[in-house]
Parts: sequence; C-alpha cells; structure tokens
Amino acid sequence: MSAAGKGTLSSTGNRAELLALLKQELGKNGSLSKTVLTSLADKTGLPLNEIYGVSTFYAYLPVAAAGKNIIRVCGCLPCDLKDAQGVIGSIKKELGIEPGQTTADARFSLEQVGCIGACDQAPAMMINDTVYGNLTPAKIAEILKSFK
Amino acid sequence: MAEKRIVLGNCGAIDPQDIESYLRNGGFKAYQKARKMKPKAIVEEIKKSGLTGRGGAGFPCGLKWELARNTKAKTKYLICNADEGEVGTFKDKYLLSHDPFGLIEGICIAGLAIGAQQAFIYLRAEYHFLYDPLCRNVAQAKEKGFLKHLDIKVFEGAGAYICGEESALMNSIEGQRGESRYKPPYPPQRGLWNMPTIINNVETLMNIPRIIDKGAGWFSAMGTGRSRGTKVFSVSGDVARPGVYELEMGSPLKELVVNLAGAEDIKALQVGGATGNIIPGYMMDTPLSHETFLGSGAVVVFNSTRDIIDIVYNDMRFLSEESCGKCTPCREGTEVMLEILGRLQQGDGRERDISTLEELARVMAAASLCGLGQAAAVPVLDALKYFYNEFMDRVDQSHFLRSYLGGEFNQSKEAVR
Amino acid sequence: MANVRLSIDGKSIKVRDGTTILEAAEACGITIPTFCHIKGLLPTGVCRVCVVEVKGSKTLMGACHTPVAEGMIVSTHTPRVVAARKVIVELMLTGHTGDCVNDTNAENCVLHNLASDYQVGAPRFNVKAPRFYPAEESNPYVRRDLSKCVLCRKCVKACHEIARKDVLSVGYRGFKSKVVTGFDEALNTEACRDCGICIEHCPTGAMSAAPGFKARKGGAVR
Repeated sequence: MSAAGKGTLSSTGNRAELLALLKQELGKNGSLSKTVLTSLADKTGLPLNEIYGVSTFYAYLPVAAAGKNIIRVCGCLPCDLKDAQGVIGSIKKELGIEPGQTTADARFSLEQVGCIGACDQAPAMMINDTVYGNLTPAKIAEILKSFK
Repeated sequence: MAEKRIVLGNCGAIDPQDIESYLRNGGFKAYQKARKMKPKAIVEEIKKSGLTGRGGAGFPCGLKWELARNTKAKTKYLICNADEGEVGTFKDKYLLSHDPFGLIEGICIAGLAIGAQQAFIYLRAEYHFLYDPLCRNVAQAKEKGFLKHLDIKVFEGAGAYICGEESALMNSIEGQRGESRYKPPYPPQRGLWNMPTIINNVETLMNIPRIIDKGAGWFSAMGTGRSRGTKVFSVSGDVARPGVYELEMGSPLKELVVNLAGAEDIKALQVGGATGNIIPGYMMDTPLSHETFLGSGAVVVFNSTRDIIDIVYNDMRFLSEESCGKCTPCREGTEVMLEILGRLQQGDGRERDISTLEELARVMAAASLCGLGQAAAVPVLDALKYFYNEFMDRVDQSHFLRSYLGGEFNQSKEAVR
Repeated sequence: MANVRLSIDGKSIKVRDGTTILEAAEACGITIPTFCHIKGLLPTGVCRVCVVEVKGSKTLMGACHTPVAEGMIVSTHTPRVVAARKVIVELMLTGHTGDCVNDTNAENCVLHNLASDYQVGAPRFNVKAPRFYPAEESNPYVRRDLSKCVLCRKCVKACHEIARKDVLSVGYRGFKSKVVTGFDEALNTEACRDCGICIEHCPTGAMSAAPGFKARKGGAVR
C-alpha cells in the first residue's frame, strides 16, 4: 500500500507522467499558472487541486509568475562560508532585486536555494540550467550582462 | 596513505560520451562475467564483499538485494539514486560526468542480480545539464546490446532534497508529492508502485563491476569492520583544494582534509551533510567509517573565524525548508529549533533554550517518519557537546544585553509564554 | 492468514498476519491514542501521536501503520512514549493558532482534549512565522479557519476516500504545507458538494459548518 495513497498505482498513465508533463508545460508557458494547470487537469483527468499540490511541493515547478531567467543562489554552508550573501548583494546591486523578487522588466527572478552540488566552486549559483561558480562581483556583473 | 582511485579510476582516463572508449578500458567485462553467473551467485558475491550503501545510510547492499530477490513479484524495479542533494556532496555529479558507463554497467549487473526489468536513474533537477548526456549514454549501451534484459529510464527530479530519501524518491517517480512513506513495508518488499524495489546510490552501483571483476575478497581486504572498500569524499569549505577524493574506508580524517585537501586552520568539520556530525578540529585522527563518521562522505571544514551557531543555524534553515512537512515532529520541530537558534544568533537566548533543544531533539529522533526529522538535531547536539561554551556565551550575552539595554529590549524580545 | 503472537504491555495476544499494532492493542483492550487516523481507512501515519516502543527498534513506531510481527514486544505507555506524545501534542498546539478562546466549539476540539489528557498546557515553543490565515467564510456550507489546522489530513482523506470527491489536497512543502482546494482558493461550491464529511472528521475546528447551516449528518454524496 502506498502511504501517499492518492492517485492510481500504475506505472503507466497520467499520474506516472505528471512531473514530466508539468516540466513540459513550464517549458512551453514560462510558468504554471491557473490556466495552464486547469488545462492539464482537463487533459489528465486529475483534479486541479491534486496537480497544484504536486507542483507546489517542488522548487523547480513554480506556480507563481517568474522572470525569463531564474537565478538560484546557493545559501548552504560551503557557499555561505564563501560569502553567498555577498553574491546576493552583488545581484541586488546589478538588478535591484532580493531573493523572492523579479525584475520589473521580468528578465530575472532571484531565489536563494539549498545545495546545488557545486561546493568546490563556492560561492555558486545557477541561472536556468547552467552553474556558475567561483563567483566574484565582477564575474556576476559580466554573467548577468550576457543575458538578454 | 595516498588516494586510492578505484571508483574514480576511469575519471579523466576515458571519454564519458563514447562507449568505445569505455569498452577499450575493460568496460562491460564484469557485466559479461555476471551474465554467466546465476543471479543468486551475484548477490552472494556482493554480500561477501561487505559493500554498504554509499549515499549516507550505509545499509549492506547484498542483503538488500537478497530481500528483493526473495520477494515474489512479476515486476521488480531498480533505482539509481542520483538526487545528491546532501549539503557539501558533489561526488556523484563528478562520477556521472566522467564515468557514466561505469554506472550503467553497475545498473545492468544489479538488474541481473535482483531480476529487475526496469531501472530508473533519478537525476536531480539541479544536474539537468547531465540529462541529455545520460540519455545518450543509455542509448549507446542499448545499441551495444547491453540492455536486452533491462530498460533504463532517466527520470529528472524537480528540486526537493527530501527526494533523496528513498521512499520520497519513489513517491516522486509515481507522480506524487515527494513525501516520505511510513515503513514497513521497506522498498525491497513493496516499493515503487508496490513492487519490490532496490534503490542504490550512484557510487554504490559503480562499485559493483569492480567487485564482480576482482572478487569479493579483493574488495573486503580494504577498509575496516563493517566499512569495506573505498569511499569517495567531497571536501569543501575552508580548504585550499576542495574537490573529490577517494580513500580506503577507515582512513584518518587528517589524511583527507589536511594532506589531500590542504586545510590548515581547522576549528570544526561537518561530516555527512546537513544532518551530519560536527567534529572538533582536535579529532583529526578519527578514521572515516560507518562506525565513526561518514554519511554521504561530504566533509565541510570550518576555520577558527567561523561561528558554531551560524553553522548549525544554516543547517537547520536548510532542513526546515526541505522538510516534506508530513509528520508533526519534523515539520514543527525543525521550525521551532530554527526559532531558538535564530534568537541565539541574534544574542537573544534564554537558559532554557538549551534544554528545549535537547528535549526536541530526543522526540524528533524517536518519532519522525524518516531520516530527515530523525537526524535534524544531530548537528545541534554535537555543537552543544563540543562547543557548549559558545552557546552559553550567547545566552550570557543575552542576559547582558537585556540588563544593559533593559526597557525596550525586554519588551520587544521577551516571550509571553 | 497465519497467526502472529505478540505481547503488548505484557499482555500476550494472537492476531492475523497484517494486523496493525493499533488493531491488536484494541483487540486486547488497550487503547492507544490516535489523532490523524480514520478507523476503517488505510493509515495516514502523519501525526505521530500513536507512537509506541517496540523492543529492538531504535525509533518509536506508529501503532496505526506498523504491522505486528511474531514475537514483537510492544510498550504503549512507557515514560519515553508519554514524553514523546506530550511534545508532539505541544508541537501541534504550536501550529494551532486559531482564536479558540472565543470559540464556543473549543470544548469539542479533539486537540485540546488530547492536550488535556496528556496534561499539556500552552506550548512553550515559538516559530518565526506562524501559519495564520484569515478565516474563509465565502462558502455557504463550510467555514475554513486554517489557522487552526494542524495538517492531520483527515479532511483530505475523508473527501477522497469516503465522500469520493477529490476537492482537497495538500499543497506547498514543510512548515508552509496547507490543505488546498483548486489553485489554493476558497472552497468553491461547484466542487464541494456540502456533504459535510470533512467537517465531521476535522479534529480542530479548522473545518466547521458555516454559521446558519447545519451539515447533513453522515451524508456521503455518491
């Protein structure tokens, strides 16, 4: 018996594909808005609340509108020791946003996240799927400028 | 004692994207040997080797496989846990980047041993850059005919540390919230979609071909006690040479941290991740093993400028954010501990904070649904054990601040309860 | 169907394979307190109130979900168990931030009764940002006061497995978990069929009948 209980216990079908479907929708739409999730609910036959419950569990399936490029700065110990807060400060200086915010032109969103596995290049951050390590204020400015 | 690069052996010596390169280096020989063995014999060999899980839990691998073998079911699953969310751990990223065929060969042999037809590589979302390369690796292995008995699917996570915990991982693959399950049943009995399931860490699986090739005796000759073979460590923090290193189990901490990673000023270290033990710098001769300190093999070094309360606060903040939230002790307990540690950090501690932390730690360890809640307080308890004075200094500081500043400070900070 | 022999608080009992510790205890007259459990349904196992000592286990085990095993030795009320239960109840009270003092239904609050049974007073614990939500009163049948919610998931389970509607799910993660409906909105009348099953099962008054509406008794809408 699955303690989670809900959904069909089948290795095929909509439930098994849910995370992949959500990622697909995110890629297509830029965010998992109510409209997007409602249409996914219709498509899969799963209730909207169930899909919302799954999305909101995972950090990489945001239901809130986000910027075109998502910056994730690691705040865990190895990066914290190497001044992760300074990285956040530099980003604030360049873009004017703090963790949890999006730039006015919607180019960037900023989040502080847990360990991304780049501890030997601390302090590190991800922008979308790319990891940037050994960050300095100059490097950060350069990296951000490279995004249109 | 120099590094012993066995699991890391192929890293840098072969082209990770070219199976021919892997084959030329002796790749898939162990798989061919395993194919001629009875599955039960493969399990026996792994049991004899003494291989234990390399992800952090350290459960005997062969025994786990045997449980799955002995459970009657028409479908069995094998999952490679590549979620690697543990703080300070990046060895699996390194292994996946440099020797992915080594993993695939390990998965193939494991599949034979337990009778699985379907395998998953659960890859954390943060390693998305490895997704396409891994899919290509699998395709190459399939092309060569190594996947006749086993289908391998790369499944990407979506940003949740708790999905490194095996029951949460299975829920995630099932399209659920990545929450932990109560146990029993254990995965080898009833796991993914209620079928017998084996979940093994990347490094654990990469030891398999070498054990089959060179024999259980060769493997168990290394190491100590119930910690056999080698361990791949991830070292970071206040060290000159952060990176991935492989040592025989039982090697002293000093060898890893000072000789290899170049640490000089060591106040404390945390071994095993966010719920790992905190060890004072004077214990550098301690051997690294399951019996002492190990976990995922993550070692974060703190120099004398570091504040122990900042360290445990950072760990607890991470754990409370990553708690799945299902069970009371972990969901509420991590947040309460965070509040206490936060106040201590700000110089607003109370005498009873220490006893509250200890009381909560006992209950969380005893009653939480999974390892996250059970071990959340380990760093706090260790910090209290070895750095008690630093905690008491903060409490004393609070008394001083309260009596010195009085009035406003008391009103804003004093708890009503 | 094999018979399994075990001992609970010194009492020896034989039960069917697959029986939970909770069921076995009940069969020999021992009551283990529960909170998130709905009798007759599969265990949820989240509140941890029903934890007991099982000889040989380092951790305490949830009685509602742990199956018996041959030769198992269970202790349901040791000092260690009672101490754990008290802290667990205290932690639930910490997350129960409603205005119970002014609530006439408060004496029916299962949580407060449990706290009273275990002599747990006002919690000693604080959190930085308690789960406070304004009460939802837009639905004509159900009033939701999620500040009182301790995330036992009985409403979710009851809606899914008894009412056979799927109106409620758990959303978000960790401390910020919340019972959500739709896209985390107020309970809408189209989805909710006012069967009152969730209200019946809610142990804290987070789900209650809207004033002026008495939920149909036991009426599962099929």
